[in-house]
Amino acid sequence: MRRFLDRYWYAYAMVLPVVLVTGVLVLIPLAQGVFFTFTDINEGNIANPVLDRPATFSGVGLVNYLHVLSGDPAYGSFWSTLARTLVWTFGCVLAHFTIGLGLAVLLNRRVRGRAVYRALLILPWAVPSFISAFAWKYMFNAQYGVINQALRVVGLPDPVWLGQSDWALVAVMLVNVWLGVPFMMVALLGGLQAIPADLYEAAEVDGASPWQRFRDITLPGLRAVSGTVVLLGVIWTFNMFAVIYLVTGANPNTRILVTYAFERFFSGASRDYAIASTYGVLILSVLLVFVAGYRRALRGQEAA
Amino acid sequence: MAARRSRLASVGLHAALVGASVIAVFPVFWVLVTSFKPDARAVETTPRLLNESSLDNYARVLAGEKGDFLAWFGNSVLIALGTTALAVFLSATAGYAASRFRFPGRRPLLLSFLLVQMFPFAVLIVPLYNVLLALGLQGTGFGLVLVYCTTAVPFCAFMLKGYFDTIPADIDEAGRVDGLSPFGVFWRLVLPLARPGLAVTAFYAFLTAWGEVAFASAFLSAADGSKTLAVGLQVFVQQNRTEWGHLAAASVLVAVPAVAAFYPVQRYLVAGLPSGAVKG
Amino acid sequence: MAEVAYDKASRIFSGNPPVRAVDELSLDVADGEFLVLVGPSGSGKSTALRMLAGLEDVDEGAIKIGGKDVTNVPPKGRDIAMVFQSYALYPHMTVAENMGFALKLRGVAKGEIKAKVAEAAKMLDLTKYLDRKPKALSGGQRQRVAMGRAIVREPAVFLMDEPLSNLDAKLRVETRANIAALQQRLGTTTIYVTHDQVEAMTMGHRVAVLKDGLLQQCDTPRALYDKPGNAFVAGFMGSPAMNLKTVPLTAEGAKLDGLVVPLERRALDRAGADGLSEVTFGVRPESLALVGSSSVGMEMVVELVEELGADALVHGAVRIGGAAERFVVRVDGRTPPGLGQTVKVAVRDAGEVHLFHPESGVRLSS
Repeated sequence: MRRFLDRYWYAYAMVLPVVLVTGVLVLIPLAQGVFFTFTDINEGNIANPVLDRPATFSGVGLVNYLHVLSGDPAYGSFWSTLARTLVWTFGCVLAHFTIGLGLAVLLNRRVRGRAVYRALLILPWAVPSFISAFAWKYMFNAQYGVINQALRVVGLPDPVWLGQSDWALVAVMLVNVWLGVPFMMVALLGGLQAIPADLYEAAEVDGASPWQRFRDITLPGLRAVSGTVVLLGVIWTFNMFAVIYLVTGANPNTRILVTYAFERFFSGASRDYAIASTYGVLILSVLLVFVAGYRRALRGQEAA
Repeated sequence: MAARRSRLASVGLHAALVGASVIAVFPVFWVLVTSFKPDARAVETTPRLLNESSLDNYARVLAGEKGDFLAWFGNSVLIALGTTALAVFLSATAGYAASRFRFPGRRPLLLSFLLVQMFPFAVLIVPLYNVLLALGLQGTGFGLVLVYCTTAVPFCAFMLKGYFDTIPADIDEAGRVDGLSPFGVFWRLVLPLARPGLAVTAFYAFLTAWGEVAFASAFLSAADGSKTLAVGLQVFVQQNRTEWGHLAAASVLVAVPAVAAFYPVQRYLVAGLPSGAVKG
Repeated sequence: MAEVAYDKASRIFSGNPPVRAVDELSLDVADGEFLVLVGPSGSGKSTALRMLAGLEDVDEGAIKIGGKDVTNVPPKGRDIAMVFQSYALYPHMTVAENMGFALKLRGVAKGEIKAKVAEAAKMLDLTKYLDRKPKALSGGQRQRVAMGRAIVREPAVFLMDEPLSNLDAKLRVETRANIAALQQRLGTTTIYVTHDQVEAMTMGHRVAVLKDGLLQQCDTPRALYDKPGNAFVAGFMGSPAMNLKTVPLTAEGAKLDGLVVPLERRALDRAGADGLSEVTFGVRPESLALVGSSSVGMEMVVELVEELGADALVHGAVRIGGAAERFVVRVDGRTPPGLGQTVKVAVRDAGEVHLFHPESGVRLSS
């Protein structure tokens, strides 16, 4: 034991602050959140220390899960919302990745003004997301928005972007793509720069075409970086609440799991904490399943 | 480059980059344009670059006519800087331990950096509220700083761990032989060498706090003087009648510090960010 | 100044099964001695050095520096200085700061640090570069800074982990001599790790040969060369390597193609006692000679001639027991045989033949 402490105490000392903070602010709330899912807790029966009112909620077993998983519209139509969440997540991440990769490849070339292009292209990342949300909401406005103005000028139909239709989903996805491309671009650019130049030279000597070089050197060389950023991208996008909420508010056409949970939480007469928590646990479960499968697939690919 | 690019390819390359840059910059540019227009002109059906433009919106926002903008700004600065400092400290120590020491519990720690990012924090607001209340931190800026740290630190620690991995362990060992303790190595050798990674981490943490809405509205007291910018700016968005001109002016004021903090950091981004991602 | 002692020191890396990277190493290094640890990669030589530095745990046994048990003392308490293979210079410090860092940590006065750094820099011809960052130096200069960093400390022991392997061939030979001379002058106990047996031979007062974590032999370069303790040491020390072949044993000696090499009594007795019908027969290239076609000798078909100037190395195939075996013979550089030619090869002096046990590799001859 002494030996053990002698050897590792500084490692644990350095890890302790993080473990302490995340332990208190993640594990305890998580445990409490999971507990809520088995109760009928809402704003009316939660303990309120300000009013000195004790808690009066009671356990309901698995009822919340049954309600939610039944797909009942009164509980957010779980399955169709999940489907929309998947469309949103994979649509956004696919666009992030392809556009980010394209721009990274362009920026990785010797091109005049590269630093300026890079700085401009990263700009969406630097702007606080709530401001970007305002900006896009303004630009997407059906009457005075600059986007419809431009569409009218070139004679294209000008939809009501942020109304009660799937255009709203398209619009928030566009906003989120705009927001997320810089991160992918920067990460992939770093990955590109880590690929040794002599691999390209060797391929050129071997007579590989530019497309072959891209397919056989660039993509495999990016595998480690892209594996990680795609995973993070999926997780972040799946839980991306701010963009949707700030651009479209509580619009059922842009409802994904996490925004519905938040709706349930903050709006509505009852502030249904139990259902919101149930959604939280389900979100976490879906992500856990995805991550486990994804890591296995990646590992399988590495072995192959 | 073995062969010189043809003229056509060169034009295409620049065209693509210019196009992408315009899309990246335009929304920001448009906010800037709008910020000079009176609210009524900002909603005209044929938008123009200049339309009775003036600095009036800025003057009114700064004068506090639309809520105590300067107080919000001060709160945001304090909270964002607090988050930055604490998040960098937490993620650097944990990242270094994960990078250098092979201690029991290292793998679970790395895995938890990934897992915590999966948490839908938005729905943990009530339990978080309870915890902060129990700690006596509910309604305080420090409580909010702690919450922001839990959202920013997992990614930051993960990223910094990757950055530390790129610093040869030989340097640590030379330092140990020269007479440093493990903490001394961290403080006097590794941190100075990890500046690019730290800059990126700091920026990331700063942005996390600077632009966050949900926690800030839930955990700060409703008094106007204790709001952050992100919460305060919601006053411009009233039901069906958004004061776009004022909102735009306030937005520009909010974005300026973030962008200003960003540009010194951005040259490190390419080196600092992915090294974290590569080594997973 | 201090002597160093490894006392059955082991380093065990966990795994399945656990790897004994250094296995019960016992070694005494005298005060002021230059000891070289040599071995192929994975032999545990670097691990042994790092155990002495305190950078690697000692799982069993003990290590002493200057008579004091330092087994559980952290590196900074050991009064050692180390030169790394990568040099491990601090990239964010100037040459002067790099060299003075350890003294600064010990709280030595600024003026004194400056004087000591200046003195070391002069010794290493670095005075011009004191204000530069390592990035702005050539490989050779960086190597000297790493040396300087160690010298300034005036430690009890210098530890050097393949300090020359990143230099080009010419500079390596030059620096080799410089380090040996410097050590002579300072008289500081030095442990030097290398995989290059030429470095080991030319630099060390004594050389310790390691393989698979086990100490094979520790002796002066001359003794290692003349009387290698086992077949591994015999094959490892010397360039080109000793010819080592398993050959049948007869009553008169070792039987090679058309040639029976008479063996000393003692070796034959020992082989007989073990009931051996074969032995590992070792003879260095320079102990072989080309002889006239009428003399007794092995017939060798020349496959390759490496001209080195003063002499030439003749590689060829000899049939032993039905199989072709490769031999290398060092011959006079002015009259090498031609490619494809068949030559006769004989052992110059039966006393220069080494015999080893065919399985254990232990030396049989005296």
